[in-house]
Amino acid sequence: MIQINHLSFSFAATEIFNDLNFNVNRGEILSIIGPNGCGKSTLLRLLRGSLKTKTGEILWEKTPIAQIPVREIARKVAVVPQSSTIPFPYKVRELVAMGRYPHRKNRLSFQDKTDLHIIEQALVMADILPLAERAVTQLSGGELQRVLLARALAQNSSVLFLDEATSHLDIDHRLELTELLVRLNREQQTTIIQISHDLDLAAAISHRILLLTEHGKIAAIGAPEEVMTTANLQRIFRVDVKVDSNPLTGTPQIVPLINNSTHRLSGLKVHLICGGGSGKTLLRRLHLAQADVTAGPLNQGDSDESVATVLNIPIAQEIPFNPFAEQTLTAANKLIEQTAVLVITTQWWGAGNLPCLEMAEKAIQQSIPVYFLPQQQEHDYTEGRAWEKIQWLQQHGAKPVRNEEHLLDELAKF
Amino acid sequence: MNKRRNINLRRLGQVFLLLSPLLAILMSLSAGSLDLSWSKLFAILFQGTGSEVEQVIIWQIRFPRALLAGLVGAALSLSGVTFQAVLRNPLADPYLLGVSGGAALGAVAALTCGIQSPIVIPLAAFIGAITALLLVYLVAQAHTCSSHTLILSGVMVGSLAAALLLFLLWRAPADATRQAIFWLAGNLSLADPNWLSWGWLWVVIGFVLLWSQSLNLDLFTQGEETAADLGLHVGRSRLSLFALAGALTACAVALAGLIGFVGLVIPHICRLLWGPGHRLLLPYSALLGSSFLIIADAIARSLYAPAEIPVGVVTAILGAPFFLYLLRRNGGGS
Repeated sequence: MIQINHLSFSFAATEIFNDLNFNVNRGEILSIIGPNGCGKSTLLRLLRGSLKTKTGEILWEKTPIAQIPVREIARKVAVVPQSSTIPFPYKVRELVAMGRYPHRKNRLSFQDKTDLHIIEQALVMADILPLAERAVTQLSGGELQRVLLARALAQNSSVLFLDEATSHLDIDHRLELTELLVRLNREQQTTIIQISHDLDLAAAISHRILLLTEHGKIAAIGAPEEVMTTANLQRIFRVDVKVDSNPLTGTPQIVPLINNSTHRLSGLKVHLICGGGSGKTLLRRLHLAQADVTAGPLNQGDSDESVATVLNIPIAQEIPFNPFAEQTLTAANKLIEQTAVLVITTQWWGAGNLPCLEMAEKAIQQSIPVYFLPQQQEHDYTEGRAWEKIQWLQQHGAKPVRNEEHLLDELAKF
Repeated sequence: MNKRRNINLRRLGQVFLLLSPLLAILMSLSAGSLDLSWSKLFAILFQGTGSEVEQVIIWQIRFPRALLAGLVGAALSLSGVTFQAVLRNPLADPYLLGVSGGAALGAVAALTCGIQSPIVIPLAAFIGAITALLLVYLVAQAHTCSSHTLILSGVMVGSLAAALLLFLLWRAPADATRQAIFWLAGNLSLADPNWLSWGWLWVVIGFVLLWSQSLNLDLFTQGEETAADLGLHVGRSRLSLFALAGALTACAVALAGLIGFVGLVIPHICRLLWGPGHRLLLPYSALLGSSFLIIADAIARSLYAPAEIPVGVVTAILGAPFFLYLLRRNGGGS
């Protein structure tokens, strides 16, 4: 639908783009992401012809954008800006009505029956009908943003450009607006190009993502899971993030590794006996405290296993839904032999993970310090055998800790 | 309930506004060094009574003068509305683009040459104003003709004119200087009544052209980028709006000198009372601007009669407190 061929652009002496090539397909949601100052907004301006370029071409259905009259462009594409200050107290309804400007039939008015109907619809869709008679100068940032969206909706165009349109919105309106975009896209085949800093949300709704480098080059373009990889994001944004997949939707999701840990366990070797999600938070906390963590045995597909994999934590791994085989236990034992501390998380105990407690017994015998988080007798499904082992461990020097914080405090003493 | 009351008040305000130029003219006809009571005025107007002197004072002196004040008030208000919208700046006024400086230079040049003719001085002022306007455009056009370059070159041309003006005043005899100062403070008595019909034609055409662009003015208040995104040809439209507003200002300044305050404040008052939509704001501002200046002139003529206070003094003393009151009541919504 829109073709960008050999596009170059500079502001004065600063080159923004050099030989950019890509296409926008009809009916897709394309998100443009990239570091601040890489030219995302400039690109959107070039695409709608509000900035002109001398080199390269931008074709809308094979017509160069420079040859399309502004009013015609305004009927094709509506823009929701990042924010806007409006110095005069127009009513919300008046402001939304301005979206009908490109469709006006005479110079003084554009409010015939269809116009009024479309304006009303836009007010409803953006959830601002109750604000219709209020002055725009009295609205909060989020409310104003929805008014600007409604104005764009009133333009009734087949393409929508959003320049960080959701940055000012709180979570419910951000999600609502996102759902609205998806609905417009699905029901009316609206093509949507958005600049977004909410990468998770962008990944969740976009058909394709365009990742720009700091110097305005295309780092990657394609499906979210192809573009939003750990390697790409770390390279372009120069941050320590991991890309995981959302447990509910499966779309890429960013896990920022912000170190808020107050504990420093630099290099302390800690092995974790966990499973069934009991070790998720502890794995992260130990990782952030810079402990040298290992874990296992763990079944593939166990949520603890997924966390360990994302964080590159070595584990003794078993195939899904199988009891731990001899070689897995051997592998786990090897990890334990090398560790400085062994930790047992709060778990339900059954025939499947009973061997883990046996490994702990072995560790005690090798005089490896063992800590365990609170255990409950009711969680023993082995007719008392697990509980017996836990008692034995405690009698032979395994130390109980109250919670994860207490554990980290204890570990910090090493 | 309260809302309905508000709407009724607004309606009442609109009716009053429509009638206000008429009332203002009547008031202006009765005021002056020869004080006429209202009953006497009505008798003269509708029954043709009264002495010949009274007839002459009313029809040949006061009536044209009221029409002139109305014309100037409307022109300045329209121009103020336009500049404020296009520049998105509530502080913009009609004298922004160097028009005042050019006009003043033209008029004072004529005065210091000893010319007193009520036909030549407005003409000289008008030529000065238009020259300044063209100069501003030429300078701005060399760049992108954006609002910023227009304002900057306007200020520069204005300063240049002011410097030349001071030089002229320094060289001029005291008598001419005094007259020049009177002109600079705004004066409705200098223009020849023959200019009146030309001025009105100019203002009516200017109003119609501006009014036909009232949607564009609405769009300009959203910012130029948004206006373009909504399909407005920003560059072309801005140029034509500035030219129209500049021409209206030039006309007002040529006929009455520099009358401050009207072009700045009348648009604000109308916006506070009837909202910012330009389809109504333009005619309302024109009406209120006319009435306001007619009344201000009546006061200027009668307060120290037979002497006249510069009308610019009256506009500010009347307008500023009223504006402050509105601003307080509406919580600065403008």
